[in-house]
Order: sequence, then C-alpha cells, then structure tokens
Amino acid sequence: LPQAFPLPSLPRKAPTVLVVCGPAQNGAIGLVCARHLRIFDYEPTIFYPKRSPDPLYRDFTTQCEKMDIPFLSYVQLINDAYNAVVDAVLGAEAEVGEGREPCAAILATLKHIRIPIVSLDVPSGWDAESGSSGGISPDVLVSLAAPKECARRFLGRQHFVAGRFLPYDVQKKFELNPPEYPGTECVVAL
Amino acid sequence: QEEAQAIDQELFTEYKFSVDQLMELAGLSCATAIAKAYPPSSFTSQPSVLVVCGPGNNGGDGLVCARHLKMFGYQPTVHYPKRPSKPLFEGLTTQCEKMGIPFLPEFPTEAAFIDELYGLVVDAIFGFSFKGAVREPFGSILSTLERVTVPIASIDIPSGWDVEKGKADGLQPDMLISLTAPKKAAMHFAGRYHFLGGRFVPPALQEKYALNLPPYPDTDCVLQL
Repeated sequence: LPQAFPLPSLPRKAPTVLVVCGPAQNGAIGLVCARHLRIFDYEPTIFYPKRSPDPLYRDFTTQCEKMDIPFLSYVQLINDAYNAVVDAVLGAEAEVGEGREPCAAILATLKHIRIPIVSLDVPSGWDAESGSSGGISPDVLVSLAAPKECARRFLGRQHFVAGRFLPYDVQKKFELNPPEYPGTECVVAL
Repeated sequence: QEEAQAIDQELFTEYKFSVDQLMELAGLSCATAIAKAYPPSSFTSQPSVLVVCGPGNNGGDGLVCARHLKMFGYQPTVHYPKRPSKPLFEGLTTQCEKMGIPFLPEFPTEAAFIDELYGLVVDAIFGFSFKGAVREPFGSILSTLERVTVPIASIDIPSGWDVEKGKADGLQPDMLISLTAPKKAAMHFAGRYHFLGGRFVPPALQEKYALNLPPYPDTDCVLQL
C-alpha cells in the first residue's frame, strides 16, 4: 500500500485507510496488513463483520485491538472518511455466487465507492479463474505468492506480487515464474 | 535484561503475538540488515554464509534468517548441534532443509577453515535470556569463532557476552542486530554495523517502557543506528 499510496501523497489530512476483512483466510491477511499499516504510521480502521473462530485469527484480532485500531460495527461515508480501502473480503478459495451475508452487502457497497480499492490476492466477488464483470473494480491488485488466473482481467492502475516465501522447487514444480524481487523487498510491481 | 523479558512477556500474553510471528519478523530483519551491510556483490567469491544456531530462540531467529538469506541470493549453511524437540524449531529446520540449505554435522575445527569457506558468519547462538556458564559444544564453537577473521554478525547479543556488561575478551562481532530495542550490552559493541530490527513493537508498548526508538525509514524492517 505505501508503494501505491505513499503517505505524503494522500488526499486527506489524516492517512486513514479502511480495511474490510472477510470471514476466512483473506480476512486474516487483512488483519495482519492493518497491523503493519499502523506500524507504518497509517491510520487503519477495520470492518470485520463476520469473525472467524480460528484461534490464530482471533489472536490477529487481539493484536489489532491492542494497537488501538478501531473495529467498526457498520460502515458509512466511506468516500469522506478514508483515503483508500483494502479489500480483504474474499480470496481465491471463495465460491462464486450470490448472497452470503454480510459479504454480499459490503461488496455491493464497495462497487460504488469513489476512492481507490486495493484488493488482496483476488478482487472479492470475482471468480478466481475467469474474473467477473459487474463486480468491484480495484485500483490496485496485490497478488499473493503468484498471480491468479483472474488477474488477467485486472484493469486497475497497479499490480503487485507480494509474499516472497516460495521455495525455488515449489516455483519450478508449479511453473510459477514469479518476477524477480528487487534486493530485500517483499513486494514487486508488475 | 529483565525489561527485555517483560516486553516479550507482554507481547505474548497481552497482545497475543505468537512466538512464530515475532521470530519470523526478527529473522527477516536479521537477513535484511545483513543484505544491506554485506550485499552478495561484496563477497570475494560466492556469497557463502555460515549460520551457527544455538539451542533456544536465538537459534530459531538464525534458522529464519538463513531461509531469508537464501531467498535474497546468498548461499547459507547452518550448524545446529542442539535442537529443541518442539514443533516450531522442527518446522523451521524442515523449511531450511527443503530449500536446499545444508546442515553441517560437525563444526569446523579450525578458524582458518571457516575463513576459507565462508565470507560471513551469523552468530545465532545465545540471546538476551542467556545466563550463567556456556555449555558444550558452544564453548569450543565460541573459542573458534573468536579466532575467525571474516566478519561476524551477531543476533541481538554477541554470544557469550554478559547481557548487560558485555565481555571484553569475548566475541568481537563486526555487526550487531539488536532486536526490538538495543540491550545494555550494546554499549560495549565496537563493530562497524549496528542495526535495529524487529519492527513490531506497538506504539503503546514503546511508550510504556520509554524505549525512545528512532523512527524506521518508511516500510523498512531495519534501521541502521
């Protein structure tokens, strides 16, 4: 996020970011992301309507709460309050389909906001393989480990790959051909 | 030393961080600091690094560091003579092995052998919890390391040093990576590179313990002091 939206470039006085977390792993990644954004001096706020019972993810929630990151009970006025939204609602494992409150509601809201969206791994609500018209349109996509099939349909401004942890033999085995990360960076722009 | 232990305790009990999380961030900091001070191009031939891991958490930090050094293009080799039978350490060991990082069964007997084979040694033997006498095989290992001429990078505390007072006739590392905050012993550090790593201390904890840490540059996980 700081590479796409560096602190000095943010339109609002306060470096506020809304992080919307879904009920599964993608949401948990959002929680970890929010914590690091706080360390990087952003002001994240989290909307996490359906919390996972997984103990690891519950600990991620505690870490955020103890770092004074607010958790909203409902979202409103997104365009006015925040500089950007991190979409950590659904990942590559999610099923395509309608319904599944409260994800459907928040995704419907996100379709209409005017501030930039940064999607983690897969734009939420897109089918991981074929993409989806009529879904959200993120400005920035951060593919985790390697881009997913649906990334071909991504039309936003910047596409990053992050998650510099794949051993070489796994990369070779799955023919991933990830880009070279510069130096010690854990993020690379495609 | 007590303060460092108190901070750790709070991170685990109040903030609910897992040892795995903090160890991963710590080890990544160490590898990043090493890459900044000793980039692969600075080695006379291959960027080969010997990582010596002790029996506790400092050793775990070393295993994480070795794995990231491999990702950054170095050729690390690990010596890990005393391994705790806990899933965390077994997992870290497997991750290194599966990435093709060799584990030496025996420590080189002569400092000269180390100087010939490696361009850098990472000292991940003892950390800030170290107290009392040094048990074998680490006594002999430290004696050999004291005679090595290639640079040594120590994780958190130069091994064998008293955590507060240092050790004038002990290891003299070229680099020290202080984790979370520098320990008292760091005042006696005389090497070229002192880095701060472990960028995970919540602002509230920093204030509570009056750590007065200088700010890290943008999203870097290390800061050169």
